[in-house]
Amino acid sequence: MAAAGGGGGAGVSKTYSFKVVLLGEGCVGKTSLVLRYCENKFNDKHITTLQASFLTKKLNIGGKRVNLAIWDTAGQERFHALGPIYYRDSNGAILVYDITDEDSFQKVKNWVKELRKMLGNEICLCIVGNKVDLEKERHVSVQEAETYAESVGAKHYHTSAKQNKGIEELFLDLCKRMIETAQTDERAKGNGPSQSGTSRRGVQIVDDEPQAQSTGGCCSG
Amino acid sequence: MSLKTERRGIHVDQSELLCKKGCGYYGNPAWQGFCSKCWREEYQKARQKQIQDDWELAERLQREEEEAYASSQGAQAGPQSLTFSKFEEKKSNEKTRKVTTVKKFFTASTKSLPKKDIKEAKSPSPSLSRQYSLETDRVSKDFIEFLKTYQKAGHDVYKMSKIFLEAMYHKRESNIDEQSEFTQDFYQNTAEKLQMYWKVSPDKVEKVTDQIERFIMTRLYKHVFCPETTDDEKKDLTVQKRIRALHWVTPQMLCVPVNEDIAEVSDMVVKAITDIIEMDSKRIPRDKLACITRCSKHIFNAIKITKNEPASADDFLPTLIYIVLKANPPRLQSNIQYITRFCNPSRLMTGEDGYYFTNLCCAVAFIEKLDAQSLNLSEEEFSRYMSGQASPKKQDLENWPADTCPGVKQMHRNLDLLTQLSKRQEHIVNGAKKLEKDLIDWTDDVTKEVKDIVEKYPLNIKTASQALAALESENIEDDKLPPPLQPQVYAG
Repeated sequence: MAAAGGGGGAGVSKTYSFKVVLLGEGCVGKTSLVLRYCENKFNDKHITTLQASFLTKKLNIGGKRVNLAIWDTAGQERFHALGPIYYRDSNGAILVYDITDEDSFQKVKNWVKELRKMLGNEICLCIVGNKVDLEKERHVSVQEAETYAESVGAKHYHTSAKQNKGIEELFLDLCKRMIETAQTDERAKGNGPSQSGTSRRGVQIVDDEPQAQSTGGCCSG
Repeated sequence: MSLKTERRGIHVDQSELLCKKGCGYYGNPAWQGFCSKCWREEYQKARQKQIQDDWELAERLQREEEEAYASSQGAQAGPQSLTFSKFEEKKSNEKTRKVTTVKKFFTASTKSLPKKDIKEAKSPSPSLSRQYSLETDRVSKDFIEFLKTYQKAGHDVYKMSKIFLEAMYHKRESNIDEQSEFTQDFYQNTAEKLQMYWKVSPDKVEKVTDQIERFIMTRLYKHVFCPETTDDEKKDLTVQKRIRALHWVTPQMLCVPVNEDIAEVSDMVVKAITDIIEMDSKRIPRDKLACITRCSKHIFNAIKITKNEPASADDFLPTLIYIVLKANPPRLQSNIQYITRFCNPSRLMTGEDGYYFTNLCCAVAFIEKLDAQSLNLSEEEFSRYMSGQASPKKQDLENWPADTCPGVKQMHRNLDLLTQLSKRQEHIVNGAKKLEKDLIDWTDDVTKEVKDIVEKYPLNIKTASQALAALESENIEDDKLPPPLQPQVYAG
């Protein structure tokens, strides 16, 4: 469902367009993480970008071109209910917690449950323990986090936006997994023109409860 | 005396009140000085003339378009003629087909009027239909110009768009979701055909899709924006009322990271508000999206100036909510629905515009469900604000932009002063009441204390009389004493 455009001519490979949502409580360092990745800067006075809520990155993975669109989401509790509007139609989700903050890990668990319920197994999940530079103040055990990630079919990563650790790997890995998912998807659908029947509708307004996307491009919400 | 001047003020010469045509009846400024009968005649004439003008314009445009196509076709013919004869055949086939389709849509007053034309002729106000056709014609001209650069593919797109429009016209009575689905299918099929059949690069396909959207939506807007078959209008009103009821929400309650005291920031806020309001005036979904994007950029600027760091979603969404509350954009739900239904899908799915649009949807959803908890207020405070019994305006005053009318500012300052005064007065009254109570209490206390003491040490008059009696008895005994010495006179 991720394939946006086929080759422009013979011999040109496909370009994948992926939407990745960034979820996590406030203060876990979502913004720092993505700014480090896209701008390679941390708490820098010279950051030129106007905003860090929507960032894009172009990648080339094994000859496959990928356009990554990273959607930041508001992490405050009061906006929690708006989650489904953000992560609809996304190919991947990065769930960030702060290793020094047990609560933020609990939040991640809630999101995982929600995402699996709404989007099923179509979406690639990454659970990210940020701020490993504060290892001494760790409150979430490595064992616990990794076991949990495995149990929900997500991958677990440790990062530090401050020290630029693990971020490159995180995104690269995620892209590879999303390409795989997209390819299996294509094969399953026979690469026919009907491929994006469910995916082409970017945003839908839901009245009461967020509607599962699996209803298939029908807008009688 | 004042009566006199008044009378002079409204005095009008009798002749000015009569119909301009001189029929002897009184005229009316609403009818441009004509009487009702003459106005109707004049209006009919003007109407006829305008309809005539419209036909002429349509005919002229049609001629121009045909010429334009003929010349583009001619330019193409050069290199094409070298290819196989098969292709030649196909091309000429297409040529004839093209002419008929173009004719079908642009012939104004031929014998067999196509349905679309009949409808346009029927539209109630001639000036309105003229405006409509002018803009639509400009857009279709641009569209044709644009498609020329794509040669045969462009021609094909034009043809497909026309067929689509006709099909949409037949669907005009059906469910809006069906129409939306049909439009989305059209976008997709066209894009696929361009890519697979005409081998157009993805970037260019995107551009063509944008132009197609522009072309078809300019024509469809009137019929598919806030259609009567849906409850969009009702939703618009609900949202509008809701936002109005929430006029008291302050930036502090939403934790908006924007300091409007800074002139530059308040400037950005005003611009953002203008942009979001402007959205309603656009016809094409992409133009509407552009308004939202511009609004968002202004918000980011405001945040950046205030916080001196790039805005995250944690900052952006509350600010957008605040802007929407302040702006109360017209027909908000209709616009969102329209964009969702008819926008070029790839834009909404992953693009930057899509992100801002999603945030707007979130803002609206938040506003609809907003309660005491989401503003960190107690239920009581919230209901008091909602019912208008109280207003948190006081905090607001400090955050007012510098260019607010000084009179209004003074008024609010005075109101504040009055509130403070009344508070102080209340304080004094309370103090006085307390003092009074204290005094009463004190008297009571003293009385009680005295009473207690009296009870504890009752006044024993008996003993006192005994003592007295004793004293007296002593006195009695005193009698037994020898009489006092009497002065004795000694002879001497």
